[in-house]
Amino acid sequence: MMTSRVSVWLLLVLASSTVESARAQETEPTAPNTAAPETSVVDRRSPKISSLELAKWIDEQFAKQWESSGIASPAVVDDATFMRRVYLDLVGAIPAVPHVRDFLYATGTYKRQDLIDRLLRNDRRPERYASRSAEHLARIWRRVMIPQNSPNAAMAAGFEPWLRDQFASNVAYDEFARTLLTSTPTPNPMPENQVRRPAMAPLQVFYQANGGTPVSSADAVTRYFLGVRIGCAQCHPHPFSSWKQEDFWGMAAFFSNATADGQLPKISDEAGASYSAKVLWDKDITIPEDKSPREALADWMVSPTNPNFASTAVNRIWQHLCGRGIVAEVDDLDQVADEERAVLDELGKMFAESGYNMRWLIEGICKSKFYQRVSLSADAEGDAEFALRPLKTLTPEQVFDSLEEALSLPVGRVDNPPRFNGLRDAFVNRMDEAASESPEEFRAGIPQALMVMNGKVTADATSLEKSRTLRATVDAPFLKPADKIETLYLAAFTRKPSEQELEFLLKHVENQTNEKARGRAYEEVFWGMLNSPEFVLSR
Amino acid sequence: MSSPFYREFSRRDLMKIGLASACGVSYSGWLPRLARAAAEQNKPRACIVLWMSGGPTQTDTFDLKPDHANGGPFKPIETAVSGIKISEHLPGLAEQMKDMAIIRGMKTAEGDHGRGTQLMLTGYRPGNAAVRYPSLGSLVAKEVGIRDNELPNYVSLSSFQFAPNVNGAGFLGPQFAPLVVSGNSDNPQARANLSIDNLKLPLGVDEESMKRRVGVLNFLQRGFTSQTTNESAKAHKANYERAVRMVESQAKHAFRLDEETNELRDKYGRNRFGQGCLLARRLVERGVPFVEVALSRVNNNPVSWDTHSDNFNRVRELSGVLDPAWATLMDDLRDRGLLDSTLIVWMGEFGRTPTINTNGGGGRDHFPAAWSTVLAGGLIKGGQVIGDTGNDGMEVINQPVSTKDLYATICSAMGIDHEGENISTEGRPIRIVDEGGTPIKELVG
Repeated sequence: MMTSRVSVWLLLVLASSTVESARAQETEPTAPNTAAPETSVVDRRSPKISSLELAKWIDEQFAKQWESSGIASPAVVDDATFMRRVYLDLVGAIPAVPHVRDFLYATGTYKRQDLIDRLLRNDRRPERYASRSAEHLARIWRRVMIPQNSPNAAMAAGFEPWLRDQFASNVAYDEFARTLLTSTPTPNPMPENQVRRPAMAPLQVFYQANGGTPVSSADAVTRYFLGVRIGCAQCHPHPFSSWKQEDFWGMAAFFSNATADGQLPKISDEAGASYSAKVLWDKDITIPEDKSPREALADWMVSPTNPNFASTAVNRIWQHLCGRGIVAEVDDLDQVADEERAVLDELGKMFAESGYNMRWLIEGICKSKFYQRVSLSADAEGDAEFALRPLKTLTPEQVFDSLEEALSLPVGRVDNPPRFNGLRDAFVNRMDEAASESPEEFRAGIPQALMVMNGKVTADATSLEKSRTLRATVDAPFLKPADKIETLYLAAFTRKPSEQELEFLLKHVENQTNEKARGRAYEEVFWGMLNSPEFVLSR
Repeated sequence: MSSPFYREFSRRDLMKIGLASACGVSYSGWLPRLARAAAEQNKPRACIVLWMSGGPTQTDTFDLKPDHANGGPFKPIETAVSGIKISEHLPGLAEQMKDMAIIRGMKTAEGDHGRGTQLMLTGYRPGNAAVRYPSLGSLVAKEVGIRDNELPNYVSLSSFQFAPNVNGAGFLGPQFAPLVVSGNSDNPQARANLSIDNLKLPLGVDEESMKRRVGVLNFLQRGFTSQTTNESAKAHKANYERAVRMVESQAKHAFRLDEETNELRDKYGRNRFGQGCLLARRLVERGVPFVEVALSRVNNNPVSWDTHSDNFNRVRELSGVLDPAWATLMDDLRDRGLLDSTLIVWMGEFGRTPTINTNGGGGRDHFPAAWSTVLAGGLIKGGQVIGDTGNDGMEVINQPVSTKDLYATICSAMGIDHEGENISTEGRPIRIVDEGGTPIKELVG
């Protein structure tokens, strides 16, 4: 294992260019089912303004808003915080130490923009940023489109491959919607007394995981694409919306079986009343001779005149990147007053005009000062505090994949590493039991805390005998104690320790009387870091 | 100390130290008489909810209709209380009837699993998205829980498969959230093993080292939380405090079911629900005031009580799990002198249609209009039936009970002021039990 130890030293201590070859040796070729385009994909449609101009537009909107409420614009984060944030948001894991060193030492006005572009577009090995980004966004989107409490949420992972391909080739969002809406869900009820279903096409998984009935499909599609919950609206009226039975069943009719081209499909409710297909807001829909009802539904859905389609898409991307939607009620957009959603609707319009270009939208948001504003402040209060970025709870996969990076866990198949040997699955499943639906919420309970405190992944990671990061750091003959602590900080927190932190932790280590106890002390420090709020809450 | 735990000096605390009248705190008037006795009693009170996931059929359990076509094939049997009859597949419970009260007049209005679960577990009708109501367990944990309990004040051995996110602390905050006991014991083939994973320190880490680890964590946590008032940061801190307390304490012995005799474990039933009831007793014994145990999957039945088809075979099977577990729990608590301080609540999200549909072997569908719940043990006056659903079971013809009434009754039996208030995150006062709930006087006073 000598080569591996040396390479980990290199990984932790040097900048990335020096060690890429060392890392490449350890990384096995791409897993077969995660193949992605080798080169960055050229956007099919070109937006009228650049993503940088979009960022500027965003900042103008919020500057106006803050000014009118008398709040000073929040400060922009330092490079280290920005780097951790953007890695977590776009790739789904924190950066490796050599990359952190690279980025912190780099100069240049555009280094943040360059990093954003690189993470979304560059697919060079060994990092494969673009592929990892598509995989990460697919995992996030699977959680958005198939909420945890869906009837068959357990099968949701089967939807990811399709989502990954959409993100990888930056498919226009209206096309994305059209493909999903016009795929025919074959009614496939769970066979009696059977827990396991046969494998299913990814698009079918979306409908089945959400319930697999016309009603659940209508509910899922309306909630996800339009930010409208018609299912609930039938029980409790709301001042801004007045959905009726006809709306609810009218949408469900599109997903019933009785469909012929050019004809309005119908559906019956439990009491036997019959309803014709009907879209929201508009009174009637006619189905052209040459189109299926679902195609007509898709046409209506993605039409620029649909008041919620583009806005909902923008709001969901915004929530993922910024922690909270421009309008916080991502699933109840119809209940929000017009003036409150003015900025959102404007941005929705720009998104539609860009050809529904998702990557452009993501880049624009990430390049804005709004995205890059601070989340922590010792003295912000009231409105000023509300203007800060919310802390974002990492998803189960983000936690594991960040641990993998911080711990320099092996990733090559030959090593039977945690990501392939079941350890990652077990970890993610346990975290999933208490995963929150909104990034603003932290729901983990005692079982999750215990797993990170005492579970195998951390136990190995904080054992000098077993932990690659720890051993390589503590044993490095050329590092002083302060450098060792700094290296652990870069590995776990993507930043250097503050003076105060360094002082406390150095004392923790140096108070020990012998070498062995000092080794233990480093274990304790690293354990504390992996269990700290800073590790699981994205600043 | 800004946590509600420290701030709230409840009436109960005052009574405990005998200052209630001296401070001029009046507690007469809001509690039925018996419940006040409960509040004055020294024994710590507890509540165990047996949650019947999917919505249990009342017609085939506690409200049989043998003389009507709706009745189905199950026969009624006599119980220890003359005049009260229940299903032939609940023989163990029939013997316990003196300590049980059946509420046959439940009348609610939520017929959807998610919404019904939310209603029955929070006492509030879903619909007000702005308020995240705490679940019953969190309410009880806050009102009667002990602050420095080594074990959490709310333990959930449940999978609310129809509404997995419903059993949270809501606006009460993470310190009242349940410890959810998970694990792979849903597998009916495996011997139920409801333990807490990762409670033991890893090999090579001793308690001294753990203390030093926690010392580093606390330092880092202070540095982080000093820069934010964010709820997630608070939730993280509260959660680690609870987890560390469990690791450091001996209370973790509570989860060692293998300390029990094989005979007793067999009596409860070697399945997740049976062993869950046994664990509930061990937890209550150690001062945990609220435990919920769900009866969900049984053998190959993934729908639990949601018996739209093949109702009778499935309910027979479910009863075979329910009956020994619950009856043994009553005996076991009684043997240890805990039955009169431990309230047992049997409920699901709604009942099922008295009429039988034609799906595979006959099924029953969702039915919130007239159904049953059961209260047992604690200070409940047992041996009673409340309400009546007539010959066909289609409607409550006498003494309807709403969820609010049920909650008010549960509160009274626990010595909790059901008209008391909590403050929501937005600073709005929210009553413990929704306005208009009245305790069932026959049961609690």
